[in-house]
Amino acid sequence: MVKKKIPKVELLFIAISLCFGLACLTFYIWYQTEIIRLGLEIRRAEETINKLETEIKSLEAVKASLLSLERVEKIARQALNLTEPQPAQLIYEEFIPELKR
Amino acid sequence: MINGSAHRLNKRALVAAIGVIAWFLLITGRLVELQLFRHHELKNEAADQNRYLREIWPPRGTITDCQGTILARSLPFPSVFLTRESQEKKEAVLSKLAELETFLPLSPRDKQRIKNRLENGDRFIWIKRKISWELAEKVKKAQIPGIFLQTESKRFYPFGPHLAHVLGGVDIDDQGLSGLEYKYNDLLQGKKGRVLVRRDALKRKYDLEVLEPTLPGKDLILTIDSRIQYIAEKELEEAVLAHQASWGTVVVSRPATGEVLAMASYPDYDPNEFPPADPLAQVNRAIQENFEPGSAFKIVTAAAALEFHPASLSKVYDCSSGYIALGGLSVRDHKRFSLLSFPEVFIHSSNVGTIQVALEIGQENLFSMIKKFRFGEKTGIDLPAEEAGILRPTRYWTIHTLPHIAIGYEISVTALQLLQAMNVIANRGWLVPPRVVQATVGPDGLETIPSAPPVRLLPKETAETLINLIFSKVVEEGTGTEAALSGYPAAGKTGTAQKFDPLQRAYSSFRHRAIFVGFVPSDKPAVSIVVVIDEPKAGKYYGGDVAAPVFREIARRVLLYSGETPREEPKKWVLARTNPGLKNQERP
Repeated sequence: MVKKKIPKVELLFIAISLCFGLACLTFYIWYQTEIIRLGLEIRRAEETINKLETEIKSLEAVKASLLSLERVEKIARQALNLTEPQPAQLIYEEFIPELKR
Repeated sequence: MINGSAHRLNKRALVAAIGVIAWFLLITGRLVELQLFRHHELKNEAADQNRYLREIWPPRGTITDCQGTILARSLPFPSVFLTRESQEKKEAVLSKLAELETFLPLSPRDKQRIKNRLENGDRFIWIKRKISWELAEKVKKAQIPGIFLQTESKRFYPFGPHLAHVLGGVDIDDQGLSGLEYKYNDLLQGKKGRVLVRRDALKRKYDLEVLEPTLPGKDLILTIDSRIQYIAEKELEEAVLAHQASWGTVVVSRPATGEVLAMASYPDYDPNEFPPADPLAQVNRAIQENFEPGSAFKIVTAAAALEFHPASLSKVYDCSSGYIALGGLSVRDHKRFSLLSFPEVFIHSSNVGTIQVALEIGQENLFSMIKKFRFGEKTGIDLPAEEAGILRPTRYWTIHTLPHIAIGYEISVTALQLLQAMNVIANRGWLVPPRVVQATVGPDGLETIPSAPPVRLLPKETAETLINLIFSKVVEEGTGTEAALSGYPAAGKTGTAQKFDPLQRAYSSFRHRAIFVGFVPSDKPAVSIVVVIDEPKAGKYYGGDVAAPVFREIARRVLLYSGETPREEPKKWVLARTNPGLKNQERP
C-alpha cells in the first residue's frame, strides 16, 4: 500500500481555508452575540428612560396634589394662623402718590 | 451447503435492505410532512418561542388649566391577575386566592366574579386592577404560583373633587365616560400601536420592531383657572350648606372671549373614585339642569322692549295694585309698588310692570328676542350632554304664555345660557360662545382651538342703555344690592323662581330657586358670573339674598387675584398683616 504524499502547498491551502472558515464562523457568532448584547443594553436603557420619565410624571402629579389650594389654605389658616386680608387692609400701588410718580 | 448459506444471506440482506429503505422512506415522508405540509405552522411555532406581538397604548394625554396646573394625568399602577394551568382544579385556585386575600382585600363582588370566571373555565382572570404599589409589593413577595402583576395606566386627579364635573371620569380601561374625558376621548387616548418583541433563550427582550407606530394622546389646555375654580367651589359650597339648599352651581367667564374660568356644581364627587356612589352628584348643574329662571329672564324682556318698543323707555307703569289678572290667573309682585318707570320695573323686578311691558312688545317680538339670545338651543360649549333648555314655538303658546315667559316661567334654561345672555349685554351686544378648551398639545406642538367668531345680537346703544339704566342700578339700589362690591361698579339681575310642584300641579310657595347673573366692572367687564342656588331652606330664598352675596364674594376674590384695580380710592389705608398675631397698623 502506497501512501500518497499531499503537497505542502495543498496542506497550507487547506489549513488557511480552515482557519478562514473558523474565523468567519467566530466572527459570525461574535457578531450575532454582540447584536443581542447591544439589543439587551438598549432595551435596558430604554426601560430606565421610561421608568424615569414615568417617575417624573408621577412626581409632578404628587407635586400638584401637594400644591392643592385646599391643602395650602388649610395649612395657611390652621398651621400658620393666617387670615384673608379685609378689603380695607389692601394697598393698591395705583393709589399711592409716591409710587404714582 | 454453501449455496444454502448464501441464499440465507441474500434473504437477510434483502430484509435488511427493505428495512433500510422503509426507514429511509419513513424519514423522508416525515421530512416532507414537516418541511412541506407543516412548514408554515412549525415555523411560526418556532418563532413564537423567541418573539411575540404586543399591542401598545400610548399614555393618555394630560389635562391642565390655563396656568399649566395638572388636573388629570395617567400614571402606572399595578394589577393582579391569575393564570390557571389546564389541569388545575378550581379548589386549588381558590386556596391560592384565600392566601392572597390575607393581605389583598377583595370585595364580595370581586370574589363572585372570579368564581364565575373559574366556572367558565377561563385561564386568565383579573383579580384586582390598579392597586397601590405597597399592596403590589406584598403580592410580589408572597410569590404565589400562578399569581402575577402587570403594570397598567390609571387616571389620577391630583385635586380630587376639584373641577370634577368638567373633567368627568374614566372607566377601568381608561376610556372617558363623562365630561372632557368623554368629549375628547379620541384625542386624549391617541392610537394604539403594535410591536414585535424578540427574546433570547433566557426570555430577555433584546429587540423591539415597530410594526405600527403609536400616536400619542394629546394634552388639553383648558380656559379654566384652577385658582378661580377653587374660589367658586368654596363660595358655592359655603352658600349651599349655609342655606341648606339642594344643589347649586356657579359659572365664571371672561365675557370678551367667552372663556369659562370656572364651572362649579355642588354636590360634587371625586373623579378618582368614578363613577360616584350618588349618580346625582355627577350632574354638571351648569349645563345639564334645565330650570325656570324667574326674574333673571327679564334681561331678555328688557332687551326686547328697547329693541321693539322703544317708547316703553319713557313710559310709567302702574304697579300699585300689587298684582295683575290674566285670564283667570293673577301674578303678584314680591312687594307692593306704586308707579314705576321702565327702568324701575326691572330694577325692582316688578312682575306686574314687566307683564305690562311684555304685552306692549307682543309675543312674536318677545319670541324673536328669546331666539336671538339663543335660548332653546345649546350654547355649543365643548362639554358633553349639554341641555338645550325648553322653549315652545309660539303656535303652542296660550294666553298665559307671553306674560309668564316675560317673567321667566313656561321656559327652561340652563345656568350657562343665562350667563351667555348676560355676556351679550356685557360685550355691548356681541355674542361670544362659551368654551372650556383653549388648546391641545401633541407631537406637532401647541395647537390653539379658535373660538367661534363673535356675532352682534344687539346694537351697542341698546346694551349700554340696559347696563346704565337697569343692570347697574339693580346692584346699586334694586333687588341686587347684596352683589355690590366696594370700589368696583357691578351690573346684574336677580331672579327668584317658585318651583313647580308636580304633585300639587301648581307652583310651590315654599320651594324656590335663587339666581343672580351679572358682571363686573360694569364699564369694562373683566368677569361675568352666574349663581344658582336650588331650594334654599334656611329662611332666605330671594336671589338678592342668597345668590347675590355669592356673586359678590366670588367677584371680589377673583378681581383681587386678577390684579384688577378698584375704580375708586379706598378711604382708609391699612397695612396688610404680615405676621400672625401682629396688630393691623394704620397708615398715616
